[in-house]
Amino acid sequence: MLPLISHWLTQLIIGAGLLLICVYALQKIYQYVHQQLGIQKSLVTRINRALPQTQCGQCGHPGCLPYARAISLGEASNKCPPGGLETILELAELLNEPVRGLDPAHGQFRDFSVAVIREDECIGCTKCIQACPVDAILGGPKLMHTVIESECTGCDLCVEPCPVDCIDMANHIAPSLSQTTPLYFATHNSLGVST
Amino acid sequence: MSSLKADTPFQHTGRNVAQLMQTLLYALLPGIAASLWFFGFGILINIVIAITFAVLAESAMLRLRNRDIRAHLSDRSALVTALLFAIAIPPGSPWWLVALGILFSIVIAKHLYGGLGQNPFNPAMCGYAMLLLAFPIEMTGWHIPNEVINGPLTADALGIPITTAEREFLSPLGWNGFKQALLLAFPFAASSATDVKEFVDGLALATPLIEFKMAGKSALLAARESGASLFARDSETAWEIINISYLLGGLFLLYRKVISWHIPLAIISTIFLLAATFYAPGSVAIYGTPYLHLFGSATMIGAFFIATDPVSAATTRPGKLVYGIIIGASIYSIRVWGSYLDSIAFAVLFGNFCAPFLDHYCRPRIFGHGLRGKPRPTDGTIKP
Amino acid sequence: MSALKQFAAKYFGEDPVFARRTFGGIQPPTFKEHSLRSRIMSSPIPPQLTIPIGPGNSGEISLLVGIGERVLKYQKLAVMTFYAEGRSEVPVHAPTSGVIISIEDSVVADHSQQQQRCITLASDGHDEAKKIEGQPDYVRLGSAGIVSKIRDAGIIGMGGAGFPTADKLAGCGDAGPEFLIINAAECEPYITADEALLRERADSVVMGAKILKQASAARRCIFAIEDTKPDAIAALQQALKEQLSIAAFCELVLIPSKYPAGSERQLIQCVTGIEVTTGLHPTENGVLMHNVGTAYAVYEAIVNGKPCISRFTTLCGQALKTPKNFEVLIGTATDYLFELCGIEPTNKQKSILGGSLMGNELTSDKAVICKTTNCLIAASANEIPASAPEKACIRCGFCADACPSRLLPQQLLAFSRTSDTTQLLEHGLFDCIDCGACDYVCPSHIPLVSTFKESKTLIENHEQSLLRSDYWQHRFQFRQYRIKKEKDQVLSRKKEVPEQPVQIAEQAPNTQNNEADIISKEQASRDIAAAVARVKARRDEKNK
Repeated sequence: MLPLISHWLTQLIIGAGLLLICVYALQKIYQYVHQQLGIQKSLVTRINRALPQTQCGQCGHPGCLPYARAISLGEASNKCPPGGLETILELAELLNEPVRGLDPAHGQFRDFSVAVIREDECIGCTKCIQACPVDAILGGPKLMHTVIESECTGCDLCVEPCPVDCIDMANHIAPSLSQTTPLYFATHNSLGVST
Repeated sequence: MSSLKADTPFQHTGRNVAQLMQTLLYALLPGIAASLWFFGFGILINIVIAITFAVLAESAMLRLRNRDIRAHLSDRSALVTALLFAIAIPPGSPWWLVALGILFSIVIAKHLYGGLGQNPFNPAMCGYAMLLLAFPIEMTGWHIPNEVINGPLTADALGIPITTAEREFLSPLGWNGFKQALLLAFPFAASSATDVKEFVDGLALATPLIEFKMAGKSALLAARESGASLFARDSETAWEIINISYLLGGLFLLYRKVISWHIPLAIISTIFLLAATFYAPGSVAIYGTPYLHLFGSATMIGAFFIATDPVSAATTRPGKLVYGIIIGASIYSIRVWGSYLDSIAFAVLFGNFCAPFLDHYCRPRIFGHGLRGKPRPTDGTIKP
Repeated sequence: MSALKQFAAKYFGEDPVFARRTFGGIQPPTFKEHSLRSRIMSSPIPPQLTIPIGPGNSGEISLLVGIGERVLKYQKLAVMTFYAEGRSEVPVHAPTSGVIISIEDSVVADHSQQQQRCITLASDGHDEAKKIEGQPDYVRLGSAGIVSKIRDAGIIGMGGAGFPTADKLAGCGDAGPEFLIINAAECEPYITADEALLRERADSVVMGAKILKQASAARRCIFAIEDTKPDAIAALQQALKEQLSIAAFCELVLIPSKYPAGSERQLIQCVTGIEVTTGLHPTENGVLMHNVGTAYAVYEAIVNGKPCISRFTTLCGQALKTPKNFEVLIGTATDYLFELCGIEPTNKQKSILGGSLMGNELTSDKAVICKTTNCLIAASANEIPASAPEKACIRCGFCADACPSRLLPQQLLAFSRTSDTTQLLEHGLFDCIDCGACDYVCPSHIPLVSTFKESKTLIENHEQSLLRSDYWQHRFQFRQYRIKKEKDQVLSRKKEVPEQPVQIAEQAPNTQNNEADIISKEQASRDIAAAVARVKARRDEKNK
């Protein structure tokens, strides 16, 4: 009787051990798959991330996200001049397409620049303020306007509406944001704006 | 004050690749001298042929690849490959065998993969393995040392009485031995080709490893017990002396910090442990003693000179240890359970297969990181 | 005996402080004896000083003086504000008395060698000083008092990193770190500034260390110095012995000499065994480290009340007749110093800024000494032969054995060449401390550190641009959200409140226009007309 019991006990222990190993492995696999699924964002999000977010509209869409949607529906991905060659390459890789040069109908590559208002010529019409997609221009009606350098995306959209042509695009080093951005996100995420 | 470099950082040890290779060449010398003593001129002729073809092939490939021939030849990597290849193949091999092997090594195994630093496999061992697969008879024709070129013992064994004068005349290092070696290497030059052929066929005996396996007991010990001189060519101690010479060369490399201790130590200890585990006194001779496995074949050349080729070996410290263990285990397994008699080449090539993933998975813990070595947190989508 | 003690400490946990073997490192030949032959030369006053005040890319300057103004020695000239791990303010003081002649950009001899805003001061030779007040009884100042005095003196890390000392002290928190390590390990083969300082002014350095210990509330203060500097060690031991009576006690640990023993994290591990976690500040692991130069500056600031207007800099190289150490005023031009050492211009091949291993080529002879310039080498032509051509990597692994961070430079090189960012990060590219040990041992003469620096810049730039685009996207969405909210508000207001009163309220002031208003309106309309006319004229020009 005793040998039989010990035999069964041994079997039980080995079986339980194997079961535990299987459960552990399954759990690990589940975690891994879950994680991978989490990483795989939707195509539109990934395209949108590759775009420079200057919101300039040179592609013919009102902002970067609409263009990302359009690309995901089949529009050409080479209509983004501010993104430079980098964006074109990244999009081509993302969409598994051959690399095409920038569509000249939508502008040309250019170094990063910010808008600068010649302040003595400004008449305070607020037209540029309304045009600015990121609220980077400060000023009131009939008061002088100015561009907040660190906020400007260099989108060019304020140049056209200015009735007195007092806005220039000046070459500039792209602003370094590592210090201010976390603070910004920390304060503004509470406003309920989705990113 | 010593000299500074022209760009940052402005100092340098002054050691360059050519010097490393040069040291390696020096370290091979004792082993080559021992081989010369026991095998005769066959090994020197192998080396000369191999170096000639290696330099020619290297120059031609550099020319084809539009590289500066002098600058690249001066790194001596072709010389090292040629030398390692020449001492790996049996002395007395015909010239075309040597040439074919070294051409394969330099042209295909090295330059077609992108030249020095890019070859995933040890070029010398690639050439050797190719020859072993293509010409098994020629490549396993290891003559036991004292019988290389009509040595005295053969004559004794054949029952021909020989005098001391004849013995000296027939010595492998004498003029006659040189002539015979030349005839073996260049068979077309022989006055009577049939003589040479018969001669070679008659002497193509088993490899030393098998010979030692059969003997069971250490020949070195036996020689000492029987009072024979260890350097006498007929005392069957040849392979042990040769291995010890290569071991000395290897220790010199370690001393000069050309190689690190990880790979040789891992290979030697793995072979030793495996042999010690499986060997039982009185068992069939197929499992040799640890001593036989370490000194009865080409183990020391493999451990110190061939497996440590930096280009094709693993480069991280833990990786090197695992790489050595893989090679040691393969050497032992192929010798004992495989159908090839000696197995350095295949074991090293197998190790080379493993090297890239060893480099990836056996990484040392980065300073300041945990054991898991979490990378710097960042967005996974970055692609500059 | 000391070995036995170390053994006991190591195996019975008696004392965590002893010199351990650290990983990697190299032992290059050193050339320290040349500049140690003569004593430190104190503060030569050049006819003109160009004092850097610009904090580079990120930060602001507030000027306290104007062009043409006469300033006294120790007078505060400007305060620079910059952002590195928070906001830091560093004042800049006049090194001597004189007249400010201009404020413009100039090349500064620091790591980046970029143009910085500088104040040019023509010294009048009188060296007339503002009245300063020291506080030899520093304990009375209290921790906060010492920190504020250090901040006021404009002291930054003299070792080379240049982080403001006051912020480093304030970052320790109230509890204070376990260890305060005074870094006297100077592993660069040419630099001897710290060694010379200790040899001649060990008392002041020890005093400075005690002040730092008081300010940071550190439990233990440890001097770490290489065992190959007998003179400095003897001086330090003497100083420590003399000041033993004071409550603040400092210890001395001799560490094995190798490069880079003086690197912050490596030295901490060597002395205390603490391996500072990547991404954390050493103070977060309970260790605070200061350079001996900083300790001396702190001593000067607290005990003598002198702000930081000078630093110790080594001048050496074969092209100099008398290589030596200087206590040099901030803002001195490098060529002035070279001339003081008797430079042979025909013999000079190249000037190197910083040490021979971590330094860079000095791009301009007119570059000025700043608070982090520790060494200048004027190398002769036979000191610098033509550089060996780069060869293929043979994966020998010498670099991995030399790397103090236990990285695998051979792997990093391969990934850098293929721009494989994921692998670069996994292999710890950002743990590279740019020490150059891998370059030093590479038999193929591959410029490893420069390659890694390039990769780091690339990755950082890309991360920056991603961060930027996130920010812009967020701003764009916020604007849309704002516009929608405003519209909604207007709509809801229209529904709730009758329109009339609002309009009346708005128009009320308009109905009672006074004259000034009318005038300003007329003025405005005239301005607008003028502007439109200007635009028209310009457009016409363009069209022509």
